[in-house]
Amino acid sequence: MLTAEMNEELTRVGPGTPMGELLRRYWYPVAFTRELEDFPVTRTRLLGENFALFKTPNGRYGILPEACPHRKASLAYGVVEPDGLRCSYHGWMFDHSGTCLDQPAERDETNFRDRVRADAGAAQEMGGLVWAYIGPAPVPELPRFDVYVMDGVRDVGWAELPCSWLQIMENAVDPHHVEWLHGRYFEFIGRHQGFTAPASFGKKHEKVGFTAFEWGIIKRRVVEGASEEDDDWKIGHPLVFPYNMRVGGGGIEQMQIRVPIDDTTTRFMLYTTHAPDGGVFGDQPTVPDYEIPWRDDNGHHITNYVEGQDIMTWVSQGAIPDRTTEHLGRSDIGVTMLRRMFKEQMKIVADGGDPLGTVREPRERIDLPCEKNKFHAGAGFALDFMSMGSTCFSPQLEELKRLHIDAAARVQPQAAAS
Amino acid sequence: MNTARRPAYAADAEHHRRDAPRYCPRCGCDLVGTGIAVEFWEGTNRVFHTWCAACRWTGDITPMTQMVGHEPEH
Ligand code: FES
Ligand SMILES: [Fe+2]
Ligand SMILES: [Zn+2]
Repeated sequence: MLTAEMNEELTRVGPGTPMGELLRRYWYPVAFTRELEDFPVTRTRLLGENFALFKTPNGRYGILPEACPHRKASLAYGVVEPDGLRCSYHGWMFDHSGTCLDQPAERDETNFRDRVRADAGAAQEMGGLVWAYIGPAPVPELPRFDVYVMDGVRDVGWAELPCSWLQIMENAVDPHHVEWLHGRYFEFIGRHQGFTAPASFGKKHEKVGFTAFEWGIIKRRVVEGASEEDDDWKIGHPLVFPYNMRVGGGGIEQMQIRVPIDDTTTRFMLYTTHAPDGGVFGDQPTVPDYEIPWRDDNGHHITNYVEGQDIMTWVSQGAIPDRTTEHLGRSDIGVTMLRRMFKEQMKIVADGGDPLGTVREPRERIDLPCEKNKFHAGAGFALDFMSMGSTCFSPQLEELKRLHIDAAARVQPQAAAS
Repeated sequence: MNTARRPAYAADAEHHRRDAPRYCPRCGCDLVGTGIAVEFWEGTNRVFHTWCAACRWTGDITPMTQMVGHEPEH
């Protein structure tokens, strides 16, 4: 339970709010690179603000507030030129740093131009996504987390959800929900819809643990039949502060991304790199992406796959849940710990420091701890994961299954044949 | 019998507002706005997980109405 003020503080992400200031210290994916290949300028919304995102012919990305400093027309409808973005209304032109290069209707000697700036952010490409930083200088390094830069076959599902990103992050430190939402409930829906839910998700949790580390919180669990020697406890997987969760197992490596678009809208993305041992990975000139359906024609949630179940809970909690009337228990300590971590990091930012996970030195690749043998379920996890999760909507589902089956056959020829 | 429905858990929210610690038990700083107190329930206890932004004290505060001991096997 929280006071209304505390709930408010934790969920407001706009400029000038304590949470908004904290969240502005991180890079976010704001578009797929293919979008700017199709058309070199687009509108994007992040942390309650609108931006024009563009790519100049030399391949450089830029991000400017959507409203032109002149008379506020949308720069998302601007003209992309070699040196930057020109407003289509009166032709004012801005470069990647926000410097005004041209005001065609003004007399040149007035130096009016030097007195106008667009408040530019920074943008760059990684792993088929365009990433943006809209916070204060100095711009930190874009963290090159393993899933975005490793070899493998990429597959990205996404959905725009009408709720705050915070409740989705709270779900990332809530291991118990797996056994109920993806266990008992899945089985119940399966019984009524005529399919068999994967047994590994329903395993009873005997113990859960949380450890703060340099990128966030590592979540650990011991499920029935397993021990503290198993990956689920020994390695676990992390909530990557402040808006991701890294999961994986069975040759599937995934970042679950929750971009706060505004207080009550979240861009949910499942960035998956399929990299089974023994896998042979072809070229992927563009990273395929697809929208994950989560509501049917009647407006009901689609709950016969894992993430559809998660989405049902997040969205049904409300745009911003009323945390003044919730009832937390001891099993919610992960949630409690996360809220405290947000407060701690807000304080660090208010004091002028770099919050958790700020990267100041370039690093080629940042490996995150993540269990390989998930739920003590062996290699069957990968196939369950694909057919019972959002990957079932992927246009490359069949190829991905084949990739895992062939890889397994290469690594363990006898086991695959039997 | 009064069957009128009342706003769900309004009393719990009110108790939280009344009982959540306002000052840091260590340095006495104001927790409201700067620190955090998250309430969770365990058995009959209401536990306030508390963090002070001024001195970084972190701990659980459990109000009680009765001291309960235990009797070892003998
Ligand atoms: S049991 Fe947790 S939300 Fe209902
Ligand atoms: Fe889940
Ligand atoms: Zn204190």
